[in-house]
Amino acid sequence: MLHLKPNNLLIQKTFSEALEANANGAPLSLDRIISDFDYTTFHVSNSPDDKSVLWLSIKTKAWQSVTQCDQGKNGLLPFLASKYQSAKGISIPQSFENGYDYTLQADLKTIDQDTINQLSLLKIFVMNYPFQLAFNEFVELSNMPVLEEPTGSSTSSSKNLYTIEYRDEENIFIRPSNDRITVIFETVFQDETDKVLGKVFLQEFVDARKRNRDIQSAPQVLFSHEPPLELQSHLRKAANNTDLSRRFITFVLFPRHFQTPELQFSTVCQLTLFRNYFHYHIKCSKAYMHSRMRYRVGSFIKVLNRAKVDEDESETAGAEGTKEPVQRRTFTGRKMVY
Amino acid sequence: MSQSLRPYLTAVRFSLEAALTLSNFSSQEVERHNRPEVEVPNTNAELLLQPMHISRNEHEQVLIEPSVNSIRVSLKVKQADEIEQILVHMFTRFLEQRAESFYILRRVPIEGYSISFLITNKHTESMKTDKLIDFIIEFMEDVDKEISEIKLFLNARARFTAEAYLGEFVY
Repeated sequence: MLHLKPNNLLIQKTFSEALEANANGAPLSLDRIISDFDYTTFHVSNSPDDKSVLWLSIKTKAWQSVTQCDQGKNGLLPFLASKYQSAKGISIPQSFENGYDYTLQADLKTIDQDTINQLSLLKIFVMNYPFQLAFNEFVELSNMPVLEEPTGSSTSSSKNLYTIEYRDEENIFIRPSNDRITVIFETVFQDETDKVLGKVFLQEFVDARKRNRDIQSAPQVLFSHEPPLELQSHLRKAANNTDLSRRFITFVLFPRHFQTPELQFSTVCQLTLFRNYFHYHIKCSKAYMHSRMRYRVGSFIKVLNRAKVDEDESETAGAEGTKEPVQRRTFTGRKMVY
Repeated sequence: MSQSLRPYLTAVRFSLEAALTLSNFSSQEVERHNRPEVEVPNTNAELLLQPMHISRNEHEQVLIEPSVNSIRVSLKVKQADEIEQILVHMFTRFLEQRAESFYILRRVPIEGYSISFLITNKHTESMKTDKLIDFIIEFMEDVDKEISEIKLFLNARARFTAEAYLGEFVY
């Protein structure tokens, strides 16, 4: 399992089960809480009046910041609605479930497997919204005539900085400009060991593109302890927050990474899973090291046991001669104590 | 094996051979006690022998503290960078947690060293001394090898995952 999948397997499974049970004429009664990465919780439950209607509610830490990305235009709800309008059997209720950010209503009589896949991507769609805004703004900026600046630089970057606060102290920043989109991950390592292993991994992300010709067209990755220039004006407010374990990882997306809606979607899926991906692989290497050390301990014990005086030898020697067990003595003539 | 490792290990081997002449010795201070004299605060100068300190360089050293009925061998394992530091720490802690199956391993290393062994006369009576020395020498060789292998593995894995991740962006 090298890559993490963007969809939530548990949602998929729950809905597939419910769909099958409903087709057999015995609708399931469900009240299931499903967790996902980054403090995201889903709640799958029956609608109170009809057992064949399921509600899927999501609560995610990123919601608050994602709704604020478009400066009060409230575009997130229409955006999500547009993602689900083509899906069969999905409707959006007037009010959302108490304690959750968003709710979808699925009618088991009409949904099919495609719809279930769409449902399981709900979290990605929420995270997708700021990226979508950035893609739109990129198109605007690149169509604008470039003002010739005295410095000779011909890039104009947006004043907007889209922020997704998806974990307690970790954020994603997206800044579009007229020829690229910069995505910056701010990350903090809790554990000392993770910090060092993380450094090894991140360094490889930076170097991988330079070394391997096959992935030359992948986005450029940069890694620093200092906030990148794109963020400096933004982070000045929080300047006192100088945590030494803070890292910044920058992905530079060029137009070839988001030319078509399909490419946009797969890029967003990859990027939103970036943190999970590399933390997952840090944990995997730790597990491997652990099992390796366990094996080593076994081989060391074998070597040490070679040093032990063979018990059988002395016992057989005692059995052959007199019935008395052989007394082992030290040089000084004392009896041995085992 | 590098040029300087062989004489280093040979020196450790001969020093251990010289030090591992232990005899049963009851405590002079407490009646019916028989304790490793190297481990207890000791006012009797005749029970503690001269410690031997073998140093290959500042990162790799061995300290052998002999006494009349026990010796303590402390190893300092090479730690070139912070990854090796973490790996050595993980590995020695891993061993120390399993100290009871290692008989001669001390649960806590002495200050300034990565790992310590405590060999008492009980051990030399139930185990062959030359094999015990073999074990310590082999341990010293293998720890270095293991640490550098894990480090290589870590880099290889990081490279592979990074390339696999970025490969997803190639259309």
